[in-house]
Amino acid sequence: MRINGREYSGMAEPRTLLVNFIRDDLNLTGTHIGCDTGQCGACTIMMNGRTVKSCMVLAVQAQGADILTVEGLAEGDKLHPIQKAFRQNHGLQCGYCTPGLLMSSLFLLQRNPNPTEDEIRRGIEGNLCRCTGYVNVVMSIKAAAKSMQENVGKGA
Amino acid sequence: MIPKKFDYYAPASLNEAIQLLSENGEAKVLAGGQSLLTLMKMRLASPNVLVDISKIPNLSYIREEGDHLAIGALTTHDTIEHSPAIKEKFTILNEAVSKIGDQQIRNQGTIGGSACHADPAADPPTALRVVDAKFVAQGKKGERVVPAQDFFVDIFATAVDHDEVLTEIRLPYLPPKSGSAYVKHSLREHDPAIVNVGTVLTVGDGNVCKDLRIGFGAAGPTPLRATSAEQHLRGKTFDDKTIAEAAEKATEGADPPSDVHSSREYRLEMIKVLTRRSLKIALSRVK
Amino acid sequence: MTANSGDDEIQGRVEDLRLITGRGRYVDDLKLEKQAYLGIVRSPYAHAKIKHIDFSKARKSPDFISSLTGEDLLKEGVLPITQDEWPQQRRAKRYHIAVDKVRFAGEPVAAILSRKKNSLEDLIEEVEVEYEALPVVTSIEESKQGKAILYEEWKDNISLTDEAKKGDAEKAISSAAYVINAREGIARQASAPIEPRAVLVAYDKVKDAYEVWATVQSVHGLQELLASELQAPKEKFHVRAMDVGGGFGSKGSQSYPEPLLACLFARKTLLPVKWTATRTEELLEAASGRDEYCDITLACDEDGKIVALKARVECDAGVSGTHNHMSSLTIWMMPGPYKIPNLDLKVGVYVTNKAPLGPVRGAGGPEACYFIERAVDIMARMMGLDPIEFRRRNIIQPKEFPYDNGIGSVYDGANYPLLLDTLVESPSYKELLQWKSDTHSKFRGGNPVLAGLGIALKLQGTGAMLTETARVVLDAAGRITVYTGSMPHGQGLETTLAQLAAEELGVPRDRVTVVWGDTAMIHDGIGTFASRSAVTGGSSVVDASRKLKSKLLARASKILKVDEKSLAVRDEAIVNVANPNTTLLTLKEAAKKLPSGKISASSKFKLRSMTYSSAAHLCALTLDVETCKVNITKYLVVEDCGRMINKAIVEGQLHGGVVHGIGGALMERLVYDNEGNPLASTFMDYNIPSALETPNIEIFHQETPSTITLNSAKGVGESGTIASYPAVINALNDALAQMGTGIEVSVAPATPDAIFSALTANGVPARPSA
Repeated sequence: MRINGREYSGMAEPRTLLVNFIRDDLNLTGTHIGCDTGQCGACTIMMNGRTVKSCMVLAVQAQGADILTVEGLAEGDKLHPIQKAFRQNHGLQCGYCTPGLLMSSLFLLQRNPNPTEDEIRRGIEGNLCRCTGYVNVVMSIKAAAKSMQENVGKGA
Repeated sequence: MIPKKFDYYAPASLNEAIQLLSENGEAKVLAGGQSLLTLMKMRLASPNVLVDISKIPNLSYIREEGDHLAIGALTTHDTIEHSPAIKEKFTILNEAVSKIGDQQIRNQGTIGGSACHADPAADPPTALRVVDAKFVAQGKKGERVVPAQDFFVDIFATAVDHDEVLTEIRLPYLPPKSGSAYVKHSLREHDPAIVNVGTVLTVGDGNVCKDLRIGFGAAGPTPLRATSAEQHLRGKTFDDKTIAEAAEKATEGADPPSDVHSSREYRLEMIKVLTRRSLKIALSRVK
Repeated sequence: MTANSGDDEIQGRVEDLRLITGRGRYVDDLKLEKQAYLGIVRSPYAHAKIKHIDFSKARKSPDFISSLTGEDLLKEGVLPITQDEWPQQRRAKRYHIAVDKVRFAGEPVAAILSRKKNSLEDLIEEVEVEYEALPVVTSIEESKQGKAILYEEWKDNISLTDEAKKGDAEKAISSAAYVINAREGIARQASAPIEPRAVLVAYDKVKDAYEVWATVQSVHGLQELLASELQAPKEKFHVRAMDVGGGFGSKGSQSYPEPLLACLFARKTLLPVKWTATRTEELLEAASGRDEYCDITLACDEDGKIVALKARVECDAGVSGTHNHMSSLTIWMMPGPYKIPNLDLKVGVYVTNKAPLGPVRGAGGPEACYFIERAVDIMARMMGLDPIEFRRRNIIQPKEFPYDNGIGSVYDGANYPLLLDTLVESPSYKELLQWKSDTHSKFRGGNPVLAGLGIALKLQGTGAMLTETARVVLDAAGRITVYTGSMPHGQGLETTLAQLAAEELGVPRDRVTVVWGDTAMIHDGIGTFASRSAVTGGSSVVDASRKLKSKLLARASKILKVDEKSLAVRDEAIVNVANPNTTLLTLKEAAKKLPSGKISASSKFKLRSMTYSSAAHLCALTLDVETCKVNITKYLVVEDCGRMINKAIVEGQLHGGVVHGIGGALMERLVYDNEGNPLASTFMDYNIPSALETPNIEIFHQETPSTITLNSAKGVGESGTIASYPAVINALNDALAQMGTGIEVSVAPATPDAIFSALTANGVPARPSA
């Protein structure tokens, strides 16, 4: 498989969950586990260009997949506009649900560069947060949308 | 959180998959895994073999055929939600899949998986039952087509045999002057339904009910048709009164549970409310 | 994001960079070589004798390392689970692993250690336990009736009683012009931080010492528990917490079994031992809260002035845990911001066969506010008075502070009339009044939706324990390090405490590093809970910073040979007060000249009392009268938490707190069946709000500076949760009132099913017409 742009190959027991493979075998601990039944979304990653809950995918199902985790968002020291927007708009508190939220936001904005507030809330309904009450998360995503569109306009 | 041990196969062809299923009596088919893996992680289901069919080519498509729309069993809910053809011709299915879980689950979950999982509280089974979908299964004996009324056999059980794979779902086109709607009632938007109702109707001259199908889920072991309500309206003019009367009859045959979320009485009442609402929405969509 | 210290907008909080790049360090992220995995075998029965435990099947597995039972713990001399001394809750002997008897479903009956994470649950399943079921107590009624007595040493099931009295309430009620009685309640609910509890322990045989990493709200608290229960000196336990993914009370409030068991296994096997809770284990075992019910009587005179408040509160504390004090706090805080001359408040806490209760965001405060604010609304409606007007007639006036409530609390300062004025004068409020009226017109035209507006006022004491530790160090590089006993878990203390030190020492915020969560680096501390850290942690940081500044100026005066009083610190330099633009000595230069190359000062500043914050909340919602489903449309908060150290952080705490309360008011319930089986043990059945169920929240600020704290701040962490329960339920009842049925819903959560039951049980037709 390909993770954050790098090729990787390894072994896993069939029952190993992708999230545990990412965290334990690949040592990418930015993706988190918050529940047992696929509700909380803290484990959200991008697999083949679409967000999935990595606790609801077996590692073996990701054979040949192209995976993006939160660690792959920034380019070296250069933060992704979505990361910047969350930081500037106090879109996180304890940070535990944040990586999953960043991935869902990325997917949303890639598909819908100018979402309405309702579309934003719908886009992140699979990411539970107990700290922020979502108010600043929505604001962060709106800001990210704006900044990403400005970059596009500038041909960046 | 971690399932019991199992062997995993990812066959490259349908025949290989069918062979594996017939050789392993306890095997289960894995597609998107959004329903099955939850059960396995909670150890409520522990198949000793998983046959992952997601690598089999040509099982994900939406095709407009002569008298029906064909959907490949591996088509994801997200793909269905964004299909203009389905939105236009089977709004009920578009609405049903749009209410499943959340974006991540819709990205990974498949229509075939949802149908075969046959959870009466899920959204697609009700919609598929109401549109009288036909389910195409492939097995050692070849291909067979099962109509919706025979497909959902019991809670978590369908007519697909152990060594068969569901490959396609066919939705017969609705006649002209038809409309459809799916209404879901749940605590939070993305929770499993407390009750869900789907309606498909066809209007004749003078706003008369030419055909009507009403189905509800989460009120019995399978999606059920509100036949009494359907009979009441057929041949009558659609108006507030007849719709309200049909809604009152909609609960006949319903057997909803009482559980941690809702009482039986509440569910029965909601079937009536949602029947009325979905009929009105479906009517408003008739062109 | 603005910060009161006039800081940069771009950077956000100090903690943000690592968290948004996936470089946070939560306990489960840590890996030690050869670490083994701890698993707990839990009782499926709520009340049963343990007859026999058989590990033979589990032992056959190559991944099995070791096991422990309750008997093993007794042999090791482990003490029972610690119970807080205050406020005199009855002693109940319970062990980290059950001995002889289990008393709640989910209670540990055995522990095992596995080599591999994947096989841990296999091993747990292979441990065979034989039980003999006993009668189960699952309600306060059954507890009172003594269906079973949970603790043999007790004659009954009463864990705690408390009362607060003032004047003669009976007399006042009997002669009052208006009296209302109501039965109110909030069901059992969970903290449910998204990060489950976790612990990692490594044991050093040579030193006979433990390295413990834990996701806790107090490293010193855990250190004390382990030391006392394992009967070893505190210094043997080096406890650390780095990033903690939320706590809300559950991560500091109980003596949980797992950290201690991890220590025992680590010592026994010399392997590092890791334990991470599943969400099911969180919902089964982590401190749950609320489960309080109140029979309330409110009496007032002809003019709508409250003359008496009588309340009988009952609390279902489960088997009783480390802390049972929440409902005591409820009665002490129940008078709220009102002047009530006669009080008769009693609480009884009962044990049942459920998991032990503990503090959950607000810890008795939301219950208190809910009980009084519901009663106030019911009274206002009965009298035909506007709920805001009724409150105006009874709130403590600004000039009346400090105000002694007569049952043990003196409130420092607030301006309740201004809170209400700000609310009603806001454009949003006026729009909402119009919106409510428009919605009602549409309802009369056949649209089955009603709008309701609900108000709640909040008074909250913050600064529990009154003290916290801080040490501030200036080094030769001119950098400042703050060591705090506080334990941030999302509140942004790494940022706000840095701001406070930076302000006092005249340096930019980024020159200050905050260190927390390490019992070796910080000898003594209390932790973060009960909205106390800006108050106690903040005051001690200010105090230590001021002491450091004094020391520094004393040194500088010797170096510069000038009077100390002529010096000040500004812009990283020591300057002359009369001529502040000229640098006499930079901080770096001053630090270099110090004998040890650094200078430090400590503080264990003690507040003379708690400090009281205030707020007014307004909830606007719609009720679909056919489905009984509620949708929150908008929410307003006017908050007074004294001086805001960091406005964005204050608002973030309010957003989260309000949404937590919305969840509690409308959807969250830890349900048990008649056999004591928990029915909501996953996030499928225990529902917390998602982005779709939550409104935008508009916040107005008022700052009545605290006269108690050194930074003039008051706590705000729990504030949003305290007033949101009544704001939401009052709004629901405002909508219901428009149906003209006279039915009030007073038990939270008001799920659609609960509202439906309330209506139909009272003969209201299922689908009432407009």
